[in-house]
Order: sequence, then C-alpha cells, then structure tokens
Amino acid sequence: MSATTTTTKLLERVKDLKQIPTIPAVLAPLLRYLEQPVEDLDIQKVTDVIAQDKALAAQCLRMANSPLFGRFQKIDSLRTAILGLGFQRVSDIAMSCGVLNLTPKDTGGIDPVVFWEHSLGCALVCRHFARTISYPDPRKAYLAGLLHDLGIVVNLWSFPEEFRRVFERARSQRIPLHEAEQAVLGFTHCDSGSLLAENWDLSADLHAVVSLHHCSYESSEHAPLIAVVELADLLCRMSGLNYGYLENRQVNVLEQPGFAVLLQKFPALRDFDWARLTFELDSYMDEVHGLVHAIYRK
Amino acid sequence: MSATAAQAVIGFEGPPDPDLVRIRDLVYQVAGIFHPDSKLGLLWERCGRRMKERKTKTFREYFECLTVKPNRRAELLALLNEITIGETCFFRNQAQLHAVRDLVIPTIIEAKAKLPIRRMRIWSAGCSTGEEPYTLSMLLLEESQRRLRDWTFEILATDLNERSLAHAKNGLYGSYGTRNLSAYYREKYFSPEGEQLRVQPVVQRNVSFSRLNLSDDARMTFMKSVDMVFCCNVLIYFDLASKRRVIQHFYNNLLPHGYLFLGPSESLYGVTEEFRLVHLPGATAYVKGERSLAGKKAS
Ligand SMILES: C[S@@+](CC[C@H](N)C(=O)[O-])C[C@H]1O[C@@H](n2cnc3c(N)ncnc32)[C@H](O)[C@@H]1O
Ligand SMILES: [Fe+2]
Ligand SMILES: [Fe+2]
Repeated sequence: MSATTTTTKLLERVKDLKQIPTIPAVLAPLLRYLEQPVEDLDIQKVTDVIAQDKALAAQCLRMANSPLFGRFQKIDSLRTAILGLGFQRVSDIAMSCGVLNLTPKDTGGIDPVVFWEHSLGCALVCRHFARTISYPDPRKAYLAGLLHDLGIVVNLWSFPEEFRRVFERARSQRIPLHEAEQAVLGFTHCDSGSLLAENWDLSADLHAVVSLHHCSYESSEHAPLIAVVELADLLCRMSGLNYGYLENRQVNVLEQPGFAVLLQKFPALRDFDWARLTFELDSYMDEVHGLVHAIYRK
Repeated sequence: MSATAAQAVIGFEGPPDPDLVRIRDLVYQVAGIFHPDSKLGLLWERCGRRMKERKTKTFREYFECLTVKPNRRAELLALLNEITIGETCFFRNQAQLHAVRDLVIPTIIEAKAKLPIRRMRIWSAGCSTGEEPYTLSMLLLEESQRRLRDWTFEILATDLNERSLAHAKNGLYGSYGTRNLSAYYREKYFSPEGEQLRVQPVVQRNVSFSRLNLSDDARMTFMKSVDMVFCCNVLIYFDLASKRRVIQHFYNNLLPHGYLFLGPSESLYGVTEEFRLVHLPGATAYVKGERSLAGKKAS
C-alpha cells in the first residue's frame, strides 16, 4: 500500500464521524460565549450547563482551588467560584475540564495524561506570555494553547495502533511528534485536528491554530495568535511540560517564525527576557501535574 | 519549605507578598538569579534568616535595608550569600548534565571532526570545593566508553578561594556534598574513607585546579580554546560592569562552537549582546552569536 493511500484511508477514518469525539456538552456554549460581547451573556445558562454534570462541576472546583487560577480563598461551590474568580476564569476552567475529559478508553497503551499536561501547561504559558507582551486577548491565547493539539486526541481516538507506533518512534529518536507523524502516517495532528475543528465548528482563529501550528502560517490572518502558541508550545516541549519525552535538539527562540511574526506587532519583544519566561514556566510544572492527575484519574 | 513559607507563596492568605516579589525582582536585577513563584518559599526563608539578623519584621522594611539604608551593598551581599550557601554538590544540575551528554558533546564532536587532535577543554570557573569539575570528569569518563573514544579531555577548575581549592584537591567529601550521587557513581568512582568518600585518582587525573580571580583581566586572557565554560552561581556576586567584563572574557576564551553554562535559574538578560540564549532539552545555555543561527540538531 502506498503512502498516499494509507494517508487517505486514515483521514477517511477520521472523517467517519462515529470515529471522532463529539464536542463535550459544556464546550459548545462556552465557545459560543467567547465570541460574544460580555453584555449579551447569559451567565446563568452556562452555569447550569456546568452544574448539570456533577463530575465536571467537581473537577471545576478542584481546578478553581489551584493557585494557577488565582485562588485566594477556599472555593466550595460554583457560585463562590464565579463570585470569587469571575465568570471568565470559571469558563476557562470549565473549558479545560471539558477538554481533559475527551480521551477515549483505548489509547493503544499511551498514557494520555502527558498530552493533557502539555495542553494545560501550554495554555497557561500562552496566557502568561500573551500578558507579558501585551497581546490584546490573553484569554483567547489560553484557549488556543489548550486546544492546539486536538489533533492528537483525534489520532488517539481514530487509529490508536498506528499512533502508538508514531509515538514510540518520536520518543525513542527524541524528535518532534509531528515529524514522526509525517514519517509514519504521511500527515500530522494538524491535519487530523483540522477535521475535528471543522466538525466542532471552532471559530476561524482557533481553527487556524489547530491546523497550522506546525506549518508555515506567516501569511494567515491569524498569524499572531498562532505565533503565540508556536513559541509557547516549543518552550513547553523543551522543558518539563513536554509530552513525556524531551526532544534532543537545540532551539533558539529568536529564529522561530513566530518570533518574526510577533516582533512586527509587538516591538517590545525585541528585548524580551526569554530566560525569565523559561524559569517561570518551570513553576507551573508541579501544579499542572497535580491538577491533571486529580481530574483525569477521577 | 515550612508551612508558612508555602502559604506565603501559594496564598491561602492571598497572593504572594508584594514586597517579597519586589525583593525577588531586585535580586534578579542585580544578581541575575530568578526565583519563580514556586521557589518564592525558598527566598522567603533566606530573607527570613537575614531579617532575624537585622531585626527587621516585614519584607517592606527589609526591602529598604537592601535599597536605601546605609549598608545596603553589604546587606545585599549577605543575602546573596544566603541564596548560594551550601549550594554545591555532585551532580547538582541533572538536566544540564543530560543536555551536555546528549546534545552538546555530539555537537562539539561534529564541530571538531576535521581537526587532527581530538581533545576537549572544559573550564569550571568558580569551582568552589571541586564537586562540579569532578562531576564533569565522571561524565566525560563515562562518555569515553562511547562517543568520546579516542578523545582526551581536560578540565580546568579555578576559584578565588584558596581554602576551597585545597579542599577540592584533597578530594574528600561528606554526606551532604554526595547526596545526589547514585550508587553507580559512588561505587565506580569513590572509595569510602571512614564516614566520608574519596574521589579516585582516575577522576582527578583530568582535572587541574588553580587559583584565578575572574576579575583579573591579564590572567583571564590566557584561558584559550575552551569548548565549554561552566560558571554556575558565581556571577551573582559581580556588579554589572564587572559581570560584563567576565562575560567578554568567556566569549574570547570559547571556541566558535563553544557553550557557556550558568546555574539553573541564572540568566544573562541585559548583560550581553554577543551571547545568545539557546534552549537545550530541559536546560538553557549560551552560545556565540553568529553560530546560533545555524539551527542545531544532534544525530
Ligand atoms: C556558590 S559557589 C559555586 C560553586 C559551583 N560552581 C556550583 O555551582 O556548585 C561560588 C564560588 O565562586 C567563587 N568566586 C566568587 N568570586 C570570585 C571571583 N572573583 N573569582 C573567582 N571565583 C570567585 C567563590 O569562591 C565560590 O567558590
Ligand atoms: Fe502540536
Ligand atoms: Fe503541542
């Protein structure tokens, strides 16, 4: 079987809707809410969606009580969470929990926890990085980080056996996952993620992040958001927020396409302290690890 | 970390004390050593010890001791001493050592592939009591069985402090400095001597100790053709101008493919225009400007 037919067959499998995860109940209204101005917001409705799912509500509380989300007093109900943290943060949290619940039972022997650690970690780094460079929408950056590797979920879901081989190759050769995907499958999690993003009807910018973050995206109208994710993702992969192995390579952030993209919009980036961001990122590790385990191993 | 220190950081009581955060930023600005939120508890304890001494009660008062009171420079040095005290030990920065083994050594081998002499020179600048250079020596001895077959290596270990150097040359270590030592290295490269451990001659053979003040410009120019410089937790004591001079020397001492390594949360931000920060697997390092442009990848 030639490489191209394998590719088409696997992607066909993804297109077979029964094979891909449906959008979690909580995510749809939250994503829609994100696109709306705050005035039009029906907080009660979204709270109801979260509250209906007891397990999800409990996970949200666990996360709301983490210093990563700015907890300054004990939070014991969704109501206090929203009062204390604000609706925006709680919806970020609910979104994270919704995504964390996505992985299928059979993952061909891969522990999906590492991918969630990477996604949640990347989301936090995106948010922090966005704030530091005065990127106008840090919340969007958070979401983009959270969702950027959705294609990995699709791969785990739709062809666990093939993906296990990809992952083993990437881990043993210590190369980037998308390179191993390209070599073994003929496409990457950007391609499979793109199908899911379409199916879920993600907004155009998130769709672009999911499908282009390992590609050349400089001409995309969403290039700045993708650039934030590209750089945060890279820093995570070179540190403890990787997905289970460290890539054996040397990276200079200033040579990444994302740096050039962002520099045009944010001139302050010229003097950015990358070392400090790297040290700060280290401080997320334990907390991210604890949260993901608490939520995933419910 | 004590319970209260943990609380000061993750804030049952609220966000981190803003005055502690100011001290953190001050220490970073003057010494280049950064305490991320997860390590604020450590800084809290270190300041606490100094505050007891100075009989100050709040971080705000102590911040003033560091910035406006007459003895501020001395107090800053005392705090920096607290920060680095007892830091050194064998295999202190594992991630950095792994990156050296898996990525940096192969890169240097490749860079020197065409040279007739297969030789690697490493400089441990500010080696204190010798744990750092001996660790590097063991790492390279291990690699001599693999990638560095047919290579010779030498480790230049220098420090200002004579007493530390004497201790280093003697090579006898207690339990504290050897706490990170795995059974493998302990058995292979050390001999027990009473309660203590002595490094074996094979580890010492490639290490030469000498006294060197990093601010001694004349002698600094003699350190030539170095592949890697380790200057961990030393530059914190230098003011910006002298730091820049030392860094300029390192730049000249290093071969074009050379690497400069600092301590785990130390940075050269605002200090150098010529070195480039690079990310290695699990660690960071500095390389010479032009070369960082050729994205490196190990086989
Ligand atoms: C905290 S120790 C670092 C030991 C070791 N590099 C490590 O990281 O584990 C700092 C060392 O720097 C040395 N030092 C301080 N100023 C120096 C100078 N001007 N020249 C050479 N060494 C200096 C001190 O004597 C001390 O041994
Ligand atoms: Fe990715
Ligand atoms: Fe990623």
